[in-house]
Amino acid sequence: MVILEVGEFTRVEGNGKAEIVIENREVKEVRVKIVEGPRFFELLTLGRYYWDVPDLEARICAICYLAHSFASVLGIEKAFGVKVPEEIQLLRELGLIGEFLESHALHLYLLVAPDLFGYPDAIRMVSKHGELVKEGLTIKSFGNYIREIIGGREIHGINIKPGGFGRYPTADELEKIEKSCDELLRMAKRAVNIFATQDVFGAVPVYHIATDEYLYGEKLIASDGERFDYLEHIEEKTLPYSFAKQSKYKGEIFMVGALSRLMLKADKLTPMAKELFEQHKEKLSQGYVSLNNLAQAIELVYAIERAKEIVSTLLDRGIKGENVPIEPKEGEGIGYVEAPRGVLIHHYKIDGNGNITYSNIITPTALNHALMELSLYEETKKNYGTLDENSLTHRLEETVRAFDPCISCSVHLVRL
Amino acid sequence: MLKLGVFELTDCGGCALNVLFLYDKLFDLLEFYEIKEFHMASSFKEHGHLDVAIVTGTVSSQRDLEVLKHARNYSNYLIALGTCATHGSVQGAVEGKIRAKLEKVYGTRANPMKALDAKPIVEHVAVDFALPGCPYDKMELYQLLIDIAKGIEPVKKDYPVCIECKLNEYECVLVKKGLPCLGPITLGGCNAVCIRSKLGCIGCRGPLPKEANPTSEFEILKELGYDEEYIRKKFKTFARGELRW
Ligand code: SF4
Ligand code: SF4
Repeated sequence: MVILEVGEFTRVEGNGKAEIVIENREVKEVRVKIVEGPRFFELLTLGRYYWDVPDLEARICAICYLAHSFASVLGIEKAFGVKVPEEIQLLRELGLIGEFLESHALHLYLLVAPDLFGYPDAIRMVSKHGELVKEGLTIKSFGNYIREIIGGREIHGINIKPGGFGRYPTADELEKIEKSCDELLRMAKRAVNIFATQDVFGAVPVYHIATDEYLYGEKLIASDGERFDYLEHIEEKTLPYSFAKQSKYKGEIFMVGALSRLMLKADKLTPMAKELFEQHKEKLSQGYVSLNNLAQAIELVYAIERAKEIVSTLLDRGIKGENVPIEPKEGEGIGYVEAPRGVLIHHYKIDGNGNITYSNIITPTALNHALMELSLYEETKKNYGTLDENSLTHRLEETVRAFDPCISCSVHLVRL
Repeated sequence: MLKLGVFELTDCGGCALNVLFLYDKLFDLLEFYEIKEFHMASSFKEHGHLDVAIVTGTVSSQRDLEVLKHARNYSNYLIALGTCATHGSVQGAVEGKIRAKLEKVYGTRANPMKALDAKPIVEHVAVDFALPGCPYDKMELYQLLIDIAKGIEPVKKDYPVCIECKLNEYECVLVKKGLPCLGPITLGGCNAVCIRSKLGCIGCRGPLPKEANPTSEFEILKELGYDEEYIRKKFKTFARGELRW
């Protein structure tokens, strides 16, 4: 028996590696090992007052802190039976859009593009492909600007609160967003063309899962037509070799993320994004995880178009800036949000004093963990013996990268 | 050219990511530094001696400890970057021993992956500079790296968040609104960014080393009606047991 080590994955967030077991020249098993230490967020939030919890949960992941704060706020509001008006909903959606832009641009331009062009990183790409790297950074900093005005700062802002916001954006700040959109759309469309040329690789999931609205939702939906709460159909198990758990949907391997969103919710896209989706639908429908990259590029277009729609609606109406008052009471609530890399679940029980008594967080990387292993297994089977070890390792890294995995976030698992 | 390595232990990735958020300024830094290792951003890796090592995150596993020792042994100047590295941050605040915590979350006391109780890196090795913040202010890192490159002794901040709040003329949320704000006992340097959001500082840059008066902050919050357990938890979130009151 030979064990091949692929590790540690680079150009991903956090620390993980893979182990490939080979017996008699045959690939037997692939284990994705998340070696990042556990961070025990569920324990950290127990007994804490609800108001402080979204700020703590933000620290699960810097790339998508706002999705965490937001999922946390949604769970808490549901537990208290609070509904927020449209203005707050739109601003929150805008914040998430900022996060999509920041995260997708980071992933596509800085982490994946070097594979397409044959470089170890984006910095070394600059001399030949400076324009492209610059466009990526422009989209990314625009996304961060939105995160800053809605979330409070680029990373770990504390402005997203149950019932509303600490501070509301000004008309000037919103106008600045509106003004940049057309130029950015041009860049995003170029990204779609680039990623449409990428080879397909990785496995094909049995099911796709997403939230019922495009960026967040009341329930989850799956490609078999089910509309459900996660406890009904998603099962998790712990692994002896990883700090992240694995999940199955009705016993089968599934996917969350940009590709799943497009496959399940293309009807909710903005006009230009929908057109691009139609144009590439045939390719995307093949379902390989690598197509998640192309799907993210199409989502850049969606996010920019949608940001423009939201901002002009808000500017027309004017910002009222009123929070919904909250009276803590005993309750239970689940927040479902689309983090850039897929479905994110925050589930809380809260006592009459407003303190958290139960918390469960399931992150997209944990949801995709089983599919990631399967993808590496299939890629190794396909290429073992034909590719040399370096090229094989590279292909496996590319496969992992296509998930846009956030390893830090995968190490907070549920209580059993 | 100085040789630079960025090493990420267990954390949220924010402190490493914030380096990339320097944008143009990052390219300015590349005039002085050559990046030899930066796991999150590059597949390029060259083992060997480093002039400056940046380490983010807490030591939460045996692997983290090995990476940290490597970074220390191979560098002249080691920067503990971010509150995870300097104070333990949020994971450092989770109480209990590792096996008990593993049992609560994973349902087993077995520890095959060799998890450790999360500790800041400053408790494991000597560091040359500690820059806190969850995350730190990116311009502070820029200045620090420029200072090192030019051979200037970098300056440590030693004033509370309150000072920056006053300079920005923000309304005091503690006195005027009765919000729990840790600004008076938290190390400044963030430009009081959370008070800009009209919310209280949650202490993410860790406690002010000298002259802070946590006891009086404790009394003020008690008078405002917050219960002791609540205040204690709030104090400890980013600072572990360091604040004594
Ligand atoms: S200090 Fe905060 S931002 Fe930095 S890595 Fe730790 S949790 Fe993330
Ligand atoms: S105001 Fe306080 S919580 Fe906010 S960034 Fe500054 S130190 Fe951190």
